Amino acid sequence: MTSNAVRIAEKHGTGTAADAATPVIEVEAVDVAYRVYGAAPKRALRGVSFQIMPGEILGLVGESGAGKSTLARAIMRSLPLGGRIERGRVRFLGSDLLTLDEPEFAKRRGRDLGMIVANPRGDLNPLLPIGTQIVEVARTHLALSHSAAVRLVLDILKTVAIPDPERRFHAFPHELSGGMAQRVVIAIALVCSPKFVISDDATSGLDVTVQAQILSLLGKLAREQHTAMLYITRDLGVAANFCDRIAIMYGGQIVEEAPTNLFFSGPEHPYSNLLLAAFANNPRLRARWGAKLGRVTPTAGDPTCLFADYCVKREEKCVHAPLPLKQRRFEGLVRCHFPVLR
Amino acid sequence: MEPLLRIADLVKHFPLKGTGHRVHAVNGISFSINKGETLSLVGESGSGKTTVGRCVLGLIRPTSGAALFRGKPIGSAWNVRSPALRGKIQLVFQEAGESLDPRMSIWASIEEPLRQMKLARDKRRARVREVIERVSLPPSVLDQYPFELSAGEQQRVAIARAIITEPELLVLDEPTSALSPATRAELIDLLADVQRELGTTYLLISHDLSAVHQLSHRVAVMYLGHLVEEGTLDEIFRTPHHPYTAGLLSSIMLPNPELKRESAFVLTGEIPSPIALATGCPLAPRCPLCSQRCTEAFPPSAAVTATHRVYCYRHDEVARRESAIDIFGAFQRFAERVLSI
Repeated sequence: MTSNAVRIAEKHGTGTAADAATPVIEVEAVDVAYRVYGAAPKRALRGVSFQIMPGEILGLVGESGAGKSTLARAIMRSLPLGGRIERGRVRFLGSDLLTLDEPEFAKRRGRDLGMIVANPRGDLNPLLPIGTQIVEVARTHLALSHSAAVRLVLDILKTVAIPDPERRFHAFPHELSGGMAQRVVIAIALVCSPKFVISDDATSGLDVTVQAQILSLLGKLAREQHTAMLYITRDLGVAANFCDRIAIMYGGQIVEEAPTNLFFSGPEHPYSNLLLAAFANNPRLRARWGAKLGRVTPTAGDPTCLFADYCVKREEKCVHAPLPLKQRRFEGLVRCHFPVLR
Repeated sequence: MEPLLRIADLVKHFPLKGTGHRVHAVNGISFSINKGETLSLVGESGSGKTTVGRCVLGLIRPTSGAALFRGKPIGSAWNVRSPALRGKIQLVFQEAGESLDPRMSIWASIEEPLRQMKLARDKRRARVREVIERVSLPPSVLDQYPFELSAGEQQRVAIARAIITEPELLVLDEPTSALSPATRAELIDLLADVQRELGTTYLLISHDLSAVHQLSHRVAVMYLGHLVEEGTLDEIFRTPHHPYTAGLLSSIMLPNPELKRESAFVLTGEIPSPIALATGCPLAPRCPLCSQRCTEAFPPSAAVTATHRVYCYRHDEVARRESAIDIFGAFQRFAERVLSI
């Protein structure tokens, strides 16, 4: 981040200095359900809790249908129609985001909380030059003159490594490659120097080389500006290389959470092992941890393990007893009666 | 021995209407595939991989050069539509869901190639049942329609439809890219099984380097329509000699934070436009080793071993700077250790 951008950000109270001991975001026992006309509500999230410290990157990993995007949208208060947060709290630097009224929350969305999505072209307005779109975000949240906003935007375009920013400022989305469009979406998310950024599957459609460049850019921002980040992905490999902590999601629950190196030295939840086995070129190892992965729909008020039907370690207790939340052997949490200990 | 497929100095340029410019998609590449082996074409999007695949199928006509199947050039007179070649070369697309006719039952879709080949009805029936079992799908899917199946099942149907004619060559265009990790792993196993049992030759087009590592015997690396390096799986993944290959390998991320192929050749920027090509090595603007002569002429082929060739003036230097490690092998050993308890 260039000095100009930092100066502007600090002036508007969205600065980089944050108390290293307080979590930026605290999610506490959040339940989300989708109301379906004429049927019982579908529970998409069940008791999801985590916190992210300044400068920390939490990797949320799971298959499609696990509830990853629902969680992102619940935090941003932009659940699709029918979706409702039934229970729980989301705190941002101590203040509850869910009880704020909408105009108050709208001030924070985009300023304190940034979001990067997977389909950059769909997220940009095809009729406006990209520079105009970023300026609009900056001027909505920061009391800037047009020329000051333009200077800030040119800075941020440089930060996200867009070559020739003065020329690209006037480019339309269709004139950019997928990687460039993704950088523009990142620039929009970062222009107000938010303290918390959610990236929902933002690099999965890109070439590995471009993905590596974008990840190193995001990593640098987290380190230098102490931005807390929730990085949502299906790719355990990206999470392993990019995130400080890993949270594995299955059926709307976080089933295991641990610092990255401890997670990979021995996943304790059987599902985490199965997920890791899916990446290894070895049918025998996959068979060892169970055959099937797939979409599960949690039923209302179901306290038992959702993975039990597919689990190689299943016992009688798994089907009847409520699911416990246990400490992992060294650090972290696991939601399983019989965690795998090595 | 004549290889099953030989690509000889293949060039494909697409004119841009009304501008006088052309898209230089493929700029003179040569390689060959022997019967029963898998050759993978890898490279970033926009490197011309799919164009090569389409020339192999005879769906488009090369600007110059040729794709020769059993020594005979595939072209407008002799291609996958000609009766003599029909069914010998088959294709699996990236998006199986979109390559299946939404109004045809799975049965009808799988049977279609045999109808084109005018096979008798009872023979077709027997073959359909055989292949559906081969791709491990329950016979009940035969009466279903594409929208009723998951992405993984649709991809299996696409494979069943491709292998029903017992093709000699199967062109797989990004077969794994749209799938979730578990489905992807199962599909890779299936493709390996099919090859082992039927001896089918694969041309795999992919930027999923992990799938490439699991399926290929040989690998050809493409950049901006040029072949920049070709060799056996081990030669490419363990001892890359081209800075582009080294850069590609260093951007692989495996599910273990300790496994990373460190490289002096981290790629910055993006693949340039194939419309106005500069002379010299196409990688020159992105290459940290770029020197004067790199911008003057395309580097000649240099043989590292009998099976490994590279197009780079300074390939010795690249090889010296890169440590010879196989991160996929290391990952498999790690997975074996952690997961087999």
